[in-house]
Amino acid sequence: MSGSPPTVLFVDDEARILSALQRSLRREGYRILTAQTPAAALRLVDEEPVDVIVSDQKMPGMSGLALLAEVVRRRPSARRLLITGWPEEIPPEQVEALGIRAVLSKPWDERELKEILRKETGTGT
Amino acid sequence: MSEIESRVRIVVVLPEAFAGGLAPVRDSCRTLDALARLGSEASVEPAASLEAAAAEVRNADLLVLDGSPPAAASGALEAARAARVPAVAVVADSGDADAVAWFRLGVADCVAEEGGALEALPAAALEQIRRGRDTRQRRSVERRLAWLENLNTTIVNEIPAALAVLDTERKVVATNPAFGRAFGTGVRGRPLAELLSADLWESADFGTLLDRVAAGEAPAPTIARGHGSDGRAVVFDVRGQRLDDAGRLLVVLADVTEREMLARRITDLQRYNENIIQNLNSALLVVDTEGAVTFANAMAAEILGEPGGVLRGRSVWDWFSTAHVQGGLLARTLAEGSRFRGAETMLARADGRAIPVGISCAPLVDADGTRLGAVAIFQDLTEITLLQRQVLQTEKMASIGQLAAGVAHEINNPMGFIHANLFQMAEYLGDVRRLWTQVGDVRKAAGSSDAPALARATETLEELARELDAEYVLTDFDKAIRESQEGAERIRHIVRDLRDFSRQDRDERVAADVNQCLDSTANIVWSMMKHSVVLRKRYGDLPRIRCNPMQLKQVFMNLLVNAYQAIETRLAGTGERGEIDLVSELRGDRLVIEVSDTGCGIAPDQLDRIFDPFFTTKEVGVGVGLGLSTSFSIVQKHGGTLRARNRNGHGATFELILPLTPSEEVVAGEAG
Repeated sequence: MSGSPPTVLFVDDEARILSALQRSLRREGYRILTAQTPAAALRLVDEEPVDVIVSDQKMPGMSGLALLAEVVRRRPSARRLLITGWPEEIPPEQVEALGIRAVLSKPWDERELKEILRKETGTGT
Repeated sequence: MSEIESRVRIVVVLPEAFAGGLAPVRDSCRTLDALARLGSEASVEPAASLEAAAAEVRNADLLVLDGSPPAAASGALEAARAARVPAVAVVADSGDADAVAWFRLGVADCVAEEGGALEALPAAALEQIRRGRDTRQRRSVERRLAWLENLNTTIVNEIPAALAVLDTERKVVATNPAFGRAFGTGVRGRPLAELLSADLWESADFGTLLDRVAAGEAPAPTIARGHGSDGRAVVFDVRGQRLDDAGRLLVVLADVTEREMLARRITDLQRYNENIIQNLNSALLVVDTEGAVTFANAMAAEILGEPGGVLRGRSVWDWFSTAHVQGGLLARTLAEGSRFRGAETMLARADGRAIPVGISCAPLVDADGTRLGAVAIFQDLTEITLLQRQVLQTEKMASIGQLAAGVAHEINNPMGFIHANLFQMAEYLGDVRRLWTQVGDVRKAAGSSDAPALARATETLEELARELDAEYVLTDFDKAIRESQEGAERIRHIVRDLRDFSRQDRDERVAADVNQCLDSTANIVWSMMKHSVVLRKRYGDLPRIRCNPMQLKQVFMNLLVNAYQAIETRLAGTGERGEIDLVSELRGDRLVIEVSDTGCGIAPDQLDRIFDPFFTTKEVGVGVGLGLSTSFSIVQKHGGTLRARNRNGHGATFELILPLTPSEEVVAGEAG
């Protein structure tokens, strides 16, 4: 990425999770966007140059997988990550079909999260 | 005349009576004069006519006929003969034709006039009166004898006992029909010993018995057991009687087989009842109207903790407290004769231990309906109560298992941000430590009064603060702590709710708000279903009722989890959200709680089985099949009902009805 910092969008129905994620990544140099509903997330995906989207799986109305499937349609360039308390419940074939780069477990490991984001945004090694 | 011993009545027919009732003439006075000589003991009554004479002669001792013609008097004579009353005729001459005619007609005597007087009439009348009386007396004795004879024959023939008259050689002289039926007919001349079966003969020791009877003794009746002529077992009551000096004996054999069988059946039945009562797995206590024990079986002694103790006469209130609701019921059975079944109560054992018992009470009344006391049957419920609690707990833990996933998710989110925040706070603390180290340099420089060094240190501190964005770090540190605290608080609440729900309940009844029970349960379950269900609540104004809130919560939990699972079964993976409606309302004197879902519904053939224990349609591991049956029994214990029906379209509705005033049994059951 050149010039402007990479844009990372976090989606979770839990505001405190979004707050904690922002806190963790403050010094990573990203432009961080957050959405508390899949609908709000899709609006941002349409309007902003989202490079990476990290979505929670269990949300009211629409699951994280369904949201990422929609993101594939609307902004295929956005790297897609899923975060869930029950990674083993996510069917691997869907992960593959949707081109999900990684499934992170919740609570997440700070170092792992930072590393993956660096890799996906091309800012790391 | 002294010859008349008692008052006699003489009916006299005078010549004028023949003539149709004319006034007496001189001639007839002569007859009456003669009879008057019999004295005042003789009542002489002239008949007004022959018909009157015929009617009166029945009550008379003598009929006297005076005057001719005899033929006209035949009616009166006929009546006299029938009544065995002699008649005497008065004739002019004892040899005349009239006399012959009178005798032919049956008069006993004819008295002739002699010299214008009837000198012979009194004596003749007296003679005939005496004879007539003799005849009538003899006839009466004969009749009586005939009647007695007839009676004897009837008795002998009809009596069900077998009678036999034996001669001195114990051979049969005569028998009655009953004897014939029992031992055969045509037995005259045969020894009695041959006619009776050997065992019958031996068992009553007939030989000795007959010897004693023959000797004039009166031995007590003996029972003979053996076999009858048809081979079946028979029992006879045997009596003997010496009949006459010739040494003939009467033997009476009364068949008492049936009576014996009845008596034995009664004994057997008594023993049978006694066996049942004593070996009954339940305690049986019979008390009088004062509550004093009149009968107790072995189990009663055992349950009351008085093995081997004498319970008879003890007061039932030694073990059942009158203060207790149940004691009150027992007291009511004694006082009012009301009965109750299957109530639960506590019982104070002799060893001081209190145990739960299930008790049924009924009044004891005699044939006239007078109350004699009460019968109480009770069982030790210690083990059952324990098992029931275990089942309830097991089922509850199973529901909790189903909840766990939802709850874990609910805990996982706060855990997620607390975890991340802690990591970040550790970094913030590192920043603060670096600042503090620099603050130390500033203080050291200030202490040494080295102005340039102090300026450098201060400059470095400020550079560091800028670099670390200290202002932001402190603000966000604070924010991270507050957010984490809030997350921890959320976890604490969830864990508390869960602990509250999983607590072993103590089976207590308290006045509780059913809406609150419903709502707090819905809140616990909500975390599990919030992503796939829209929950609508419509709570009516409900009065508080006496209930076991823990148990009601368990029922609500079960219904809600079922509703959620039914929705998952139908809608999982479709993205469509199901709906659950929670409705509570007051309908008359009952609370109605409805849990409706838009899930898969209940197969019609399963509607009446869903409350059966261990009936489940869920996959292994999802449910143990006790949820609805446990719920059903909890509701039943509250005196309520639980029903299920399918809705139009999708899903099912469970309707729970609770009475405002729980029935007596339920209040009573709270001790359990």
